[in-house]
Amino acid sequence: MTNHWIDIQYSDAMLVIGGNPAENHPVSMKYVQKARDRGGKLISVDPRFTRTSSKADIYAPMRSGTDIPFISGLIKYAIDNELYHKEYVVNYTNASFIVHDDYKFKDGIFSGYNEDTRNYDRSTWTFKRDEDGNILKDETLKDPRCVWNVMKEHYERYDVDTVCAVTGTPKEDFIKVADAFCSTGTPEKVGTIMYAMGTTQHTVGSQNVRAYGMLQLLLGNVGRAGGGVNAMRGEANVQGSTDMALLFHIMPGYNPAPTQSERHKSLAAYNENETPASGYWSNRPKFMASFFKAHFGDNATPENDFLYDYFPKSRRNNSHIALFEAMYDGDIKGFITWGQNPIVGGPNVRKEKAAMEKLDWFVCMDLFETETATFWTKESGADPSKINTEVFFLPAAGPYEKEGSVSNSGRWMQYRWKAIEPKNDSRSDAWFVHNLARRLKALYASENGPIAAPFKALDWSFGDGDYPDVDLVCREINGYDLTTGKTILNFTQLKDDGTTSSGNWIYSGFYPDAAPGEEKNRSKNRDNVDTGMNNYLNWSYAWPLNRRILYNRASADLEGKPWNSNNEVIWWDNAAGSWVGHDVPDFGAATGPTDPGWKNPFIMRPDGKGELFTNGMTDGPFPEHYEPYESPVPNAFSSVQLNPAARIWTGDYNDKGDAKDFPIIGTTYRLSEHWQTGPMTRNNKWLAELMPYMFVELSEELAAEKGIKEKDKVIVSSARGEIEAYAMITKRFRPYEIQGQKVHHLGMPWHYGYQGIAKGSIANYLTPHIGDANTMIPEYKAFLCNVRRAEG
Amino acid sequence: MFEVSRRQFLKLSGATAATLAIVELGFDPHKAKAAAKELKTARTDVTPTICPYCSVGCGILIHVKDNDVVYSEGDPDHPINQGSLCSKGSSVRDLYTTDRRPKKPMYRAPGSDRWEEKEWDWMLDRIAEKVKETRDSTFVVNEDGIPVNRTEAIASMGGAALENEECYMIQKLMRGLGLTFIEHQARI
Amino acid sequence: MTAYAKFVDVTICTGCRGCMVACKNWNDLPIDTQAYNGTYQSHDKCDGKTWNVLQMKEFETASGGFEWLFRHQACFHCTDAACEKVCPENAITTTDMGNVVIDQEKCVGCSYCVYNCPFEIVALADYVNEDGKIVQRAQKCDMCDSRIHEGLVPACSQTCPLDAIVFGTKEEMRKLAEERLAIAKEKFPNAMIYDPPGVDGTNMFYLLPEGPEAFDLPVNPKVPTSAVIWKDYAQPLGKMALGGTVMAVATAFITNKLFNKGHGHDEEGGDIDESTKE
Repeated sequence: MTNHWIDIQYSDAMLVIGGNPAENHPVSMKYVQKARDRGGKLISVDPRFTRTSSKADIYAPMRSGTDIPFISGLIKYAIDNELYHKEYVVNYTNASFIVHDDYKFKDGIFSGYNEDTRNYDRSTWTFKRDEDGNILKDETLKDPRCVWNVMKEHYERYDVDTVCAVTGTPKEDFIKVADAFCSTGTPEKVGTIMYAMGTTQHTVGSQNVRAYGMLQLLLGNVGRAGGGVNAMRGEANVQGSTDMALLFHIMPGYNPAPTQSERHKSLAAYNENETPASGYWSNRPKFMASFFKAHFGDNATPENDFLYDYFPKSRRNNSHIALFEAMYDGDIKGFITWGQNPIVGGPNVRKEKAAMEKLDWFVCMDLFETETATFWTKESGADPSKINTEVFFLPAAGPYEKEGSVSNSGRWMQYRWKAIEPKNDSRSDAWFVHNLARRLKALYASENGPIAAPFKALDWSFGDGDYPDVDLVCREINGYDLTTGKTILNFTQLKDDGTTSSGNWIYSGFYPDAAPGEEKNRSKNRDNVDTGMNNYLNWSYAWPLNRRILYNRASADLEGKPWNSNNEVIWWDNAAGSWVGHDVPDFGAATGPTDPGWKNPFIMRPDGKGELFTNGMTDGPFPEHYEPYESPVPNAFSSVQLNPAARIWTGDYNDKGDAKDFPIIGTTYRLSEHWQTGPMTRNNKWLAELMPYMFVELSEELAAEKGIKEKDKVIVSSARGEIEAYAMITKRFRPYEIQGQKVHHLGMPWHYGYQGIAKGSIANYLTPHIGDANTMIPEYKAFLCNVRRAEG
Repeated sequence: MFEVSRRQFLKLSGATAATLAIVELGFDPHKAKAAAKELKTARTDVTPTICPYCSVGCGILIHVKDNDVVYSEGDPDHPINQGSLCSKGSSVRDLYTTDRRPKKPMYRAPGSDRWEEKEWDWMLDRIAEKVKETRDSTFVVNEDGIPVNRTEAIASMGGAALENEECYMIQKLMRGLGLTFIEHQARI
Repeated sequence: MTAYAKFVDVTICTGCRGCMVACKNWNDLPIDTQAYNGTYQSHDKCDGKTWNVLQMKEFETASGGFEWLFRHQACFHCTDAACEKVCPENAITTTDMGNVVIDQEKCVGCSYCVYNCPFEIVALADYVNEDGKIVQRAQKCDMCDSRIHEGLVPACSQTCPLDAIVFGTKEEMRKLAEERLAIAKEKFPNAMIYDPPGVDGTNMFYLLPEGPEAFDLPVNPKVPTSAVIWKDYAQPLGKMALGGTVMAVATAFITNKLFNKGHGHDEEGGDIDESTKE
């Protein structure tokens, strides 16, 4: 989230697309309703009518997988009707930048494409520069090669009629959405976009998000109270676990994980190739050196390049799908899961289960016996005698049986205190990782040589107790001034000379300036007095630097005054010579009107501007529509059917469905009463009682065509497998008319499995192993299927 | 540390009408104490936590009495949820009171069709041994002249349900061992 | 006595069902998983094990629109409570705050209240009595009697993220309801306050987005005539003559006949469409 939950109340228009807060983030609706009480409009765009739609002022159905046409249609609508925020666009975005002469787009393909590798060379997705290296601009936006005009041309094809023919949205509904949301393209009004996995779980998922970002930049809604692009995260700490880099491609704080490449062959090469000349990332070498000081402790020195060489270098895609493909291929022998249940939550479960059966050993730490923990049992459909995996199940402590912090979607790092001793003989994950590390340290203690060396160099100083000292972990994450032994004030103090450490630079500042024994953990802050505009700066700690609204410089105009006095975030105080207001400025606090960066609110970008045109994506500088991997219709916008940069997995179990056999679009989603793969809800008696059964929702028309009656059991099939579920016949799903053709759509929750009180079929037997071209997030949200009555 | 006063419990959620109602009802601590035997939340140890389900980050109060969780409710002091909770948030008590949580660490031998209960020490020793064995037999120090110090034979997955400090420790140990297959829920 | 009321704004409820879990959590109610019914709704109606049930209704409006609406159902705490009137044991009383409570120790499980509730809320359920025996007793929402008498709002109200369930004096709640009605009319032209006079108003009352029929509610529920006869005339006379418990048994035949809902006492039970009842 660029903003935070409470801030939603300041919105004049809330576009919920690819998300369903009433069901998946129910308490957020408190603030949606507050905004509505102030006259704000709630817009719900969703393939089916959800509990969020039920509260919406406008509901627009949209076929799953067509976000880019829908948003592109809004972009064109805003441009054509001059509804964009012109001053913002000209000054705070790269609209005026002149695009590289060789940049081209033709029939679904951008310049630089290599068909064989399915990759783009992005060197033309850049800007023209003068001899001094300055980007050429035309702030009148007249130059035909400035971003503005190149963008206008790109979206010329996304007229309302074509868009609606592709998305299946009734034209009048689309116009209602366009009028309501684009009305926020003025200083007086502000709109927010709230999205979730309905957006990202597509082969164009990242570009879906980018389309939202572009629309918000055009309407001048980024950086403002009640605005922003707000990802509603699905788990209590998926924000924090991402920040802490439990992902292959990043290090803590979003530094790219080093790879086996010339670019990263040494720390010097890494810093050289990953550090831009301007923008905040120009500090990257300081973050890297400080990270390695936390990782390797005293063993890391400037002389040994902070032991960068000891840090693992990846040579391939290690993402979720790739991981299970590698496991299936026998490359992975040992597997550890920490509260994750891929046998329910992973795509193409048949393949992922077959992959697990090849493991030598598997460690599963969880609160309950999950489907993944029991992948080898008869109940799972396996023959235990044929599975030679050693399995270790470790009973985990529950969330209030231990202490530590979690970061919510608004980046608020909030402390959870321990209420009671762990149930039964369970232990926290921290306890296990701590004791495993100590066991391994002991095993390697007497060994020397190149294999032992990197692990022996790892610093592990979390106390001598049976449980790790959480306070020491917190201090290490924040970092130290190693010359004084106190924790460091914040990341602005970090250095690249080995005198500072920080396990995760973006969190640096939550535990500031504390001597040993001095408690200053700001995630424990519980002062709930509103410090202005409901930002509650003394409640918890928000990274970075306790900032609640990112890019908040953009909340003020060219003179540094709030665009709208009802909507103030920060402003320039000329007398004081600094930015002041209701939030921590996301800007140089002393950067004044005469300073060069005055009009550059996006300080993480080298040029300080919001990117309408970008070099940062693998699949194009502008979002372009491609159909999902499995789609019943041809792409109406070009002859390229699938995202040309999406990786296609072949081999066993990776069958692709054809619309002849599987004419129906299927999608998956969550319910208020369950959570993720269900261990913590399907084992919960109250929640199991509320939603006891797996079901498939389908329209009355589809049910009639298939002879399916209320409460029938049905079989849903895809090219990967089939599952049984109850039929739920409802008006909340309707058939779509797509390019003159009737297309059925159905959907189902993906929470169920064969363990727990509430049991049911695993929806992910149906979904494919294909992911987004940038993030490799699987395309769960649109696949082809069929449905029939179960016999008997 | 935190402070949760009884008074704050009674402030309840933010609706104007609800606030009015409390003013009308009044609060008499003596009366509350005298009649407290009626309330299941009387004389409990109260600890604030954050909801373990979605990412709104609602505050929850856990009421513990006689080493059991007798009630859980929204934290009225929390600026986001102001005492309210959805169905999932309201249900966290059962995460403790349920009898469905495994009692002991469990081990399944190759080819076996059942679990065996084990002690933690046994599990830790065996897991450490397997990790070391797999790591040492697959570890690559250099490739193509580049120091890579990795093993691709072990994968780690998960963490979104855990705390920041736990996530940090997990990534630290896993990268310390040379893993590159490190993934979790954010990818899916 | 100041009457307190729970005001439920059906126009803003998002259907999260926090109220259902908070109720079971606070009151330690048993689990009662029901058979699949083809919708999201978990229970057909309130009963002795499940004191509040979120009704989830899909319907097409006259103007061709589509609505999916959620109604928190629980005891109405009628001002003129039929259950209280018919109880031969005086186990059901209205407290000083206007909520209607059942004394489980006094209740003998005779079911008169069950038959006479105009809203079909109260029902028998297991109760462990002082001897440790499981007996059937009439049970229902008591408006979290212990909480409200301690200055806390009912558990369902505290947990409601939308403030769709609000608790306060009846007077303030009526005022709030009128304010919310004015806003709700924009989206729901048929919106109305449901606080039926036939039972002298209720201490759990609604702002409904559509008329009561849309939610299978009686349009004009009344205290059954038979209940009036029983409580106000027959019972006092009988008690004088025979004493309470004997009297209850002796008159069971008569009252069962009088209160028998199986014979379509529409006038008494209100205008429930039989075809919509399970």
